[in-house]
Formats: sequence, structure tokens, C-alpha cells
Amino acid sequence: MSDMHSETDMAKAGVTKDAEPFNPKPARLPPGLSVGPLAWMKQNLFATWLDTIITIICAVIIFMLVRHLVTWGILDSVWDAANRRECMNKSPEGACWAGPRLWFHQFIYGLYNVDERWRVNIGFFVLVAWMVPLFLSRVTVKLPTAAGLVLTYPLFTSYLFYGGEKGMLWTIVSALGIACFIWAMINLLLELFAGKPLGKLLEQKFGMISLKSRMLLLLALWAAVSIVWSGVELEVVRTVRWGGLFVTLVVAGIGITFALPAGIVLALGRRSKLPLIRIVCVVFIEVFRSVPLITVLFMATTMVPLFLPEGVTFDKLLRAIIAVCLFAAAYMAEVVRGGLQSIPRGQYEAAAAMGLGYWRTTGLIIMPQALKLMIPNILSNFIGLFKDTTLVAIIGLFDLLGMVQAMSEATDWIGLVDEPYLFAALVYFIGCFAMSRYARHLENKLSTEHR
Amino acid sequence: MNSPVRVGNTTHGPERSRLSRMASDPKIRGWVAQAVVGTLIVLAGYYLVSQTIYNMEKRGLTAGFDFLSSTAGFSIGFHLIDYQPTDTFSRVFLVGVVNTLFVSVIAIIFATLFGFVMGIARLSHNWLIARLAATYVEVVRNTPLLLQIFVWYLGVFTLLPPPKQAFELVFGVFVLNNRGFYATAAVPGELFWITGIAIIAGLALTFMFRRSARAQQEATGDAPSYAWKALAVLVAAPAAVFVLTGAPLSWEVPTLKGFNYQGGWAVPPPFLALLIALTVYTSAFIAEIVRAGIQSVGKGQTEAALSLGLPRSRTLKLVVIPQAMRAIIPPLISQYLNIVKNSSLAVAIAYPDLVGLWMQTSLNQAGRAIEIVATTMLFYMVVSLSISGLLNIYNRRVQLQER
Repeated sequence: MSDMHSETDMAKAGVTKDAEPFNPKPARLPPGLSVGPLAWMKQNLFATWLDTIITIICAVIIFMLVRHLVTWGILDSVWDAANRRECMNKSPEGACWAGPRLWFHQFIYGLYNVDERWRVNIGFFVLVAWMVPLFLSRVTVKLPTAAGLVLTYPLFTSYLFYGGEKGMLWTIVSALGIACFIWAMINLLLELFAGKPLGKLLEQKFGMISLKSRMLLLLALWAAVSIVWSGVELEVVRTVRWGGLFVTLVVAGIGITFALPAGIVLALGRRSKLPLIRIVCVVFIEVFRSVPLITVLFMATTMVPLFLPEGVTFDKLLRAIIAVCLFAAAYMAEVVRGGLQSIPRGQYEAAAAMGLGYWRTTGLIIMPQALKLMIPNILSNFIGLFKDTTLVAIIGLFDLLGMVQAMSEATDWIGLVDEPYLFAALVYFIGCFAMSRYARHLENKLSTEHR
Repeated sequence: MNSPVRVGNTTHGPERSRLSRMASDPKIRGWVAQAVVGTLIVLAGYYLVSQTIYNMEKRGLTAGFDFLSSTAGFSIGFHLIDYQPTDTFSRVFLVGVVNTLFVSVIAIIFATLFGFVMGIARLSHNWLIARLAATYVEVVRNTPLLLQIFVWYLGVFTLLPPPKQAFELVFGVFVLNNRGFYATAAVPGELFWITGIAIIAGLALTFMFRRSARAQQEATGDAPSYAWKALAVLVAAPAAVFVLTGAPLSWEVPTLKGFNYQGGWAVPPPFLALLIALTVYTSAFIAEIVRAGIQSVGKGQTEAALSLGLPRSRTLKLVVIPQAMRAIIPPLISQYLNIVKNSSLAVAIAYPDLVGLWMQTSLNQAGRAIEIVATTMLFYMVVSLSISGLLNIYNRRVQLQER
């Protein structure tokens, strides 16, 4: 039976085989427009009718905007003119970049004495150089450098920027900043070129070296710097002359430096089991968070003079800085509280089980974990603070925005608005955008979640 | 930092003195810490109060709220409630509060609408739209609000043409020039209240229709449509009442008289600049909130809804949006709070809000720094606390019922 079947099958197969030899069809072409730039455009720009219309409208608007910006800002612009009228005569439709160009130094330094501007530059470069080791992955000693920067840089620069006669005490105090900076730079160079920090190198040469002897070395450096430093006296530059981006950075910098430790203290106080401390912290945080910054600034300018004893006056800049610090601390406290809340209870219980008390639990177990979680929020808080410093312009300080405002009201440039404000916007944008990108980068880097 | 490591109560033993045991008792340490903080606060408070009283006496300043009933004597450029220079300072405060709330509420409405549009645009599958929205958000969020306010005010609204060459939009219903924005106002006539009642009754009836439709759906599974009934009571009935009562509504069109437009409903340029700046600035933040909220709804939710056979529109309406709203609303409300607080930047462009009128003009006139600062802060605190109170109620209601 099976043979018969197979024979007939064979026969059938044979018949068809002979009539039509197997001829594979050619492979089908990929469906039109599924790869390549055209396909991408089809999917992302012209997917539907509506999309096509919207895309075309947007493209036309963008094109017109860009064309206008290019002709206004570049092609028709004037870079060389003494005042606005001259600009208008040269090119009535173009941008007058001559104004911001002539005022550029005022935008940066305000009315800071021209011959003394190098002090601001030095202060800035010291800051940048001091921050370099914090961002290099090759550098291993970071915490002491950061602590030195935060604690001693303000001591040094407050004299550098203000100047005047410095007594014995102020000489020593501000010299500490210089000593720490030199120390940090030595460490940075050693780590970059010798691959090891100073401490490790000394250890190799002389065997074990204790923390104490390293401290002694720093003390010796401090003493040496103090002696040299005592011979330097800088001209006084009153804070009314301070201005521009310099003041913006001073206010934001002090605010940021103060806000983090104060915020940590307030947040811990808010979570404290002691009712009085908790109430004080809650009231402080809630009051400052629920009112606008400008009211705090007005409070500082109008009420602080009433609080001070006779003969003591705070200048306007200092009052503004105090207001910004209080305000920033309250906001930072809430960021820190958020971080603390995200630490699971088990961590506290485990720490208690190990026999750690409150301070050690907080300092060794909770804070390190919480701070890491908080970093993106802290940075976005810094961005907010940086933008908020513009409010000092309202109470009559000449920060970058205040200076820009002053320029568009100056007799030579009156009515010139777009160009200087665009410049200021660009400066703020670069600062904030860089910080927000860095925050995102850190968030990815520090994230230990397994994905 | 000097807390001794306690291993257990039993090991303390009798060899430790009573004093050192007390020093390591957390309860006693707590009381000591509180006593120290309390004393410091009392001392600081005493110092501040006595110093302030001394300073004020020295400068011949007086304290107290009696100035509230004295005449303010200055005029206010823009007020929604009646105000004359002969009115009292308490009236000035009220004008400021109303102006602040007015600009805030309108900015909240526009910022919400615009923010949702931008947030959804950021998630668009159209690459160009998503990029444009992202650029908008980044640029706006990373420049200071005050700078934006100045740009809108100085760069746009003061450069508008003078009244004689004003822009007349929509056949003169709206007018825009460098003195402000004018809109045709509807002036209700004597009998207009009847139409008002009809509208309210229509709203109430629609709400009832909705409830009974819901109840029927719960009971039978059918969702009856009540759109026609709602249209009838919401539009047709009030319109009929309006016509029957003799159309008691007249239009007041802004017209050029002399050097300026008169009539209609007008807002000054600083208001417009502040409103637009607040709207633009906050909408960028709201866009980010909306985007994050929508993205926080897991993809599985959409897939599950689709596999149950729900059409796309219902998936969005019944599954995605309710869950996204839970993540959107709390930060959204804190943005509203920010709008109220940020409206205080009005003082920089002379829109008479609470801070400008009260903390600047009135403080200069009356000189009562402490009272004025305190009342201003109190106002913002009341607004802030009531909004966060509402937020807490909402949070409690939408909280997931976890088992």
C-alpha cells in the first residue's frame, strides 16, 4: 500500500517538476521608506496629515525667526558706535552691539575701581582653580579640598575684594584661605604628575606620617603666608562700587555656601523629637518659604537698621546677602528633609542596633545616604537661587541685571533694551543650563539602582 | 559628637556617678538642649525688641496700627475696587491684595492651559514639535523671571504704538497700544440677573443629569448620553430667558477720545507684561510637571487597558489621565503658589500689587516698617497655608489605599 502511494506521489511530483522547474522568487524589496533619513522624516515629521501641516507651519516660523535673528543680530548689526544715535544712523534695523560692548566691563565688575579689577579676576581664578580638583576623577583627595574651599575661600576673598587696613587678626584669618589654596594646588599638581597626594608621598619617603604632622606642615605654611601677607595692603573698594556679574556671583555664592549647612541643621531640627527645637525650626522654615523673596529683601532693608545698636551699620549689600541666606536656608531645609524622609526606617533601626547614638547615626549612616539622594535637588535649588539673586536689583543693588537696567537708562544708550537684556539672558542661561545638565549627569552617575 | 556608645542599660553599673549617668540620659540631654535654645531665643528676642524700641524712640518713630485709618493721599494707577486718594491706608492694603490676587488668578489659568499644551507637546511623536517644546522649556526655565518681566515690559509693551496708531483687533473689540490693553465690556442691564439665575439653574440641572447617568451606568452598565439635555438647559434655556427679558446687556466699545481710549475694560502695560511673563515662566515648569506625570504612568497600564478592548480615547480618559493627575496635581498646586509669590516682582515694573503699594509706597508714606512688613508677610502666609491645606486634603483623598 505504502509503495503504491509513494509511486503515485512520485509520479505526480515528477509531472509537476518537469513542467515547471523550481524557481525561487526574488527577495522582496524592503517596504518603501523604512530605513534611512527619508524614513525617519516620514515617521517623525510627516506621519499623518495633521503632522505634515504642523511641521510645515513650524518650519516656516522657525525659518523666518532665524532669518530675522541673523539679519538683525549679525548682518545688520553695529559693533562700533559711541551712543545709540550713532548706531541708529549706521543701521536703523540692526542690533546695536556697540552698547553692550562698551559696557561689558561694567556688566562684569560694576563700578569696581578700574585699577583694582585684577582683584576680582584673581578671586575668580582662584575659585576656578580650587574647583578643578573636585571635578577631576584622577584626584583622590576631594573632601578636604572641598571643605577648605567652602570654609576658607570666603575668608580670603572678603579681604581681597574689600581691601582696607587689616589688623593682626584679619591678616591671620585671611592668610588661612591662601594657605589652604596653596596646599590644595600642591596636592593637585602632585596627584596629576606624581599620581599621589602629598600625604601618600611623604609616607613613602619617611614612613608612616600622622595626620598631626600633616597639620603641622599646613600650620607652617599658614604662618609663612601670614608673614608675607601682612606686608600687603589693598585699597578699599566700598561695596557701593561693587556690581555686575561679580555681585551676582558674590550673593549667589554666599547664599549657596550658607544655605546647605543651615538647611541641614534646620531639617534635622524639624525632625527632632524635642518639641521646642522642632517648633522653632518649623516656624522658621514655613515663614520664609511662604513669603516671596522680595518681601524678605524689603524687610532686610527697612527693618534691620532698627535692630542694630547705635553706630553699627550694615551696608545694603550685606543686608541683601543676609536676606538671601535666610531665604535659601529655608528652601534648602525642605530639600534636605525630602532626602532624610527617603531613608528607610531600617537604616535608623540598624544604626540603633549597632549602638550608635543620634549624632553618629545621623553623621555616619543617614546623612551620607540622604545627601547623595539630594544632590540633584540641591543643584536645582542652587539654580533657583542663582536666578533669584536678580531680585537684589529691585532694592537698588547693581547686580548683572541692575547694571543692564542702568545701561538702558543711561543717557547715551537710553531705550536700548533688547541687546543688553539678551546679553544678560545669555549669561544666566549658560550658568543655569550648565548646572542643570551637571545635575542630570550626577544623578545618573550616583544612581546605584540596578536597571 | 561626644555621645558615649551605649551597649545596654545593664552595663552602666554603679561605678558611674549619678551626674555622668544623667549626662548620657537622652531625656535629660533633650531638656537641657531645649532650655539652652529657649533661653537663647528669649534673649535674642528681648535684645531685638528693646533695641528696636530704643532706636524708634531715638528717631521719633511711633508704632501701632492707627495709621490704617488715616488718609493715604496718593493715587493708584490701576485698581479693581473703588479707590480715591482720600481713602485710608487700609483701603490701599485691600487694593493691593485684590490686584495681587487678580493677576495671579489670571496667570494661573493661562499658565495651566499653556503648560499642559507644552507638556503634551514635549511628548509628541512629531520630532519638530517635541524639540520646539523642549527648547522653550529649557530657555524659559533657565533665565530669571525678573529679566523676562523687564524684557516683556521694556522690550514689548512700551514699544507699542501710541493710542492714535493703536492696534485694533477683531474689528475694534480689542485695542492694544502703549497705554494698555482695552477690551469691549459687557454691561449687564437691570433684568440681567434673571439670565444669571437661568445659567446657574442650568449648571445645577446638568450636574444632576450627570449624576443620574452615572448611577444608571453603575447599575446597568449602559452609559446614557445626556449631551442634548445638557445643551438645552445650559445654552438654550438661558438664551431664551435672555431674549424674553429684552436682552438686558449693552456693549461698551473702547473708542479713541482725545489722547486716549475711553470705555470698555482696560488693563495697563505693566499688568500685561507681568501676566505674560508669569504665564510663560510658570508654564515651562508646568510643562515639565505634566510630562513627568504622564511618563510616570506605566506602559503596562496603557497596554492592559487596550487589551481589555478600551479604545484609545477611553484609555487616555479612564486610565492614563486619572493616574497621571495624581502625580501632576501636588507640584502643580505648588506652582500656583509660586505664581502668587512671584507676582510680587510687579514692584519692579510699577504694577500696583500688594508689595508695590504696601511695602513700597505706603511704607514710604507712613513709615511704619514693622507693621507693614508684618502684614504683608501675613497675607502671603495666609495664602500659602490655605493652598497647602487644600493640597493636603487632596493628597489624603487620592492616596492609594494600600493593603
